[in-house]
Amino acid sequence: MPEASPELLSGILTGVLEDAAFLFTEPIEEPVAWDGPVVAAKLAFESTQGGTLRLLGSEAASVELAANMLGVEPSDPEAGAQGRAAFAEILNMIGGTFITRFFGTQVPSQLGLPVLEPPGIPSPGPRTCAVAVQTEGGARLLLELDLEKR
Amino acid sequence: MALELLVVDDSPVTRKMVRRAIGLCGLSVGEILEAGDGAEALTKLAQRKVDLVLADVNMPVMNGVELVERMARDPALAEIPVVIVATPMSEERVERLLDVGARAYIAKPFRPESLREVLIQILGNKGVADA
Repeated sequence: MPEASPELLSGILTGVLEDAAFLFTEPIEEPVAWDGPVVAAKLAFESTQGGTLRLLGSEAASVELAANMLGVEPSDPEAGAQGRAAFAEILNMIGGTFITRFFGTQVPSQLGLPVLEPPGIPSPGPRTCAVAVQTEGGARLLLELDLEKR
Repeated sequence: MALELLVVDDSPVTRKMVRRAIGLCGLSVGEILEAGDGAEALTKLAQRKVDLVLADVNMPVMNGVELVERMARDPALAEIPVVIVATPMSEERVERLLDVGARAYIAKPFRPESLREVLIQILGNKGVADA
């Protein structure tokens, strides 16, 4: 089992963003300075160890994600309407990639369903590690991992 | 001859993402039908046959495993290949899907070229010549 590290999260987050949304990112320092409302979603997982993944991003990031996944311009009303759904789906893909990469494919693992948090400025969650990135368009994303101690 | 496909996923965003990947995979594709769950997929398939079904696993009403099982039991649908397009999962779950009749599994997210490879593997040259 690899170490739960920012490097592991970074590889998963950037890979999913590239493959699912054709979005290329670069790492940024924490704490992330949010410049407006933040979209946040949580995803519980269970395997030989349980835990939670939490993805946070600016609203601009969720719209950029949706636009790229749908193949429309960010100004397209559909991108705005589907931003939160796109955010949840990206977290779902991150979760699946995480459990198979961290726990391996030989052990049973279970993912919950992504749960979107109410819009606003969220407080930092419990975390084992985290990674923050910024898209070429300047939108920011933060991925937190909280592994239960057993 | 252009391929006709059915994309089954409860997330409209994912259905569109899969449609986009289909459009970018370089094959000749005709109509792409959509369904939000396995039951809706069976209804659509009763009205119109397609060359291949791309289906998620975790869906409300009827999940992807049941969809594959129902199609395999129905002589009118058993010949239509089903490719599971789902988040990465354990080998045990993948094997179960293949055991009940799925022809292949693609982990989300995926690149259009991975989809092309699987479609050609299953459908041969159909959709290639006209692309």
